[in-house]
Amino acid sequence: MDPLLTFIVILVGMYGLSTSKNIIKSVFSVTIMESGVILLFLNLGNTEGGSIPIVSRASEVIADPLPQALMITTIVIGSTVTALALMLCIKVFHHYGTVEWREILARGGGK
Amino acid sequence: MIRNGFLLLLLLVLFSVFYFSLQDLLEFQKTSASYFLEYGLDETGSSNLVTSILLDYRLFDSLFEAGILLIAVSGIIWISKHEIEEKNAEFMIDKFKTPDLFVTFSRLVYPLMLAFGFYIIINGHVSPGGGFQGGAIVATAILILYYIDAEKETNIKLIVTIEKYLYLTILVIASLSFFTRGTFFTNIFDPGTFDTGTQSIYLIVLNVLVGFKVALGLWTIFTAFLKEGR
Repeated sequence: MDPLLTFIVILVGMYGLSTSKNIIKSVFSVTIMESGVILLFLNLGNTEGGSIPIVSRASEVIADPLPQALMITTIVIGSTVTALALMLCIKVFHHYGTVEWREILARGGGK
Repeated sequence: MIRNGFLLLLLLVLFSVFYFSLQDLLEFQKTSASYFLEYGLDETGSSNLVTSILLDYRLFDSLFEAGILLIAVSGIIWISKHEIEEKNAEFMIDKFKTPDLFVTFSRLVYPLMLAFGFYIIINGHVSPGGGFQGGAIVATAILILYYIDAEKETNIKLIVTIEKYLYLTILVIASLSFFTRGTFFTNIFDPGTFDTGTQSIYLIVLNVLVGFKVALGLWTIFTAFLKEGR
């Protein structure tokens, strides 16, 4: 897959982040951007015809293990930060009764 | 409408920036893979090169990754704190609404998933997987356990305390190499004097600890969400 397609995934996330009117959809947009970054890194570390980065099963060319190790970090941190954001969403819903950005602002949120 | 047009223009500009930066990135890549293939097994004792990076070359990174997981779990618990202490989360999963077929098959699948998770954790240095991935599988198996037995009580405070002590243990074991080799955050056993079999003991211990820590962390997040869902 071309790395340019992963840019499109990131840009879809950015578009969603700037147009969504719902907090949960904003959180999902961040997750989509994160998936784009993960795909980009794995794409750049890949080699044409390379095998998995395990010594006993490797051929002469392997995929670069460094981006893969970095992306484990990204996945773990991304999932926990998403969980934290969604928990804040639940608290906002309990307080204001809605998760729409504009209604929360109209009810005096953010002051 | 005009705002949307501006937004699309901005995204187009960003896309072109990405496109031109990609040309530099493509020249930079594919320098480290051959080094890891040649020296990775001898220097770290791990046949799986991703694990050798996670638990040896960049262990400092992984420690802070586990730390961020702990901090996020603490934050989630602090945000979802209640005045009334609930003993369990059975009001969320209603046993009468869960189909019997699902419960029966969960009973069959649950031990298999648990065993698969432990297999991924323990074999993290020779086959694909490792502590973080196996821990996620174990946490999923525990999540299924909630469907089987909805009255099961969980003590969140105890789980988080165990998790904190596990993180301290990981830090201590990672620092032990200072006394044996003179450098922090690497394998305890010197690759010059010990063979790869002895070196893998350290990797297995660290993988198991990280796996349990991740499983407990995800379990806590899940329980906190269950208690919040009213």
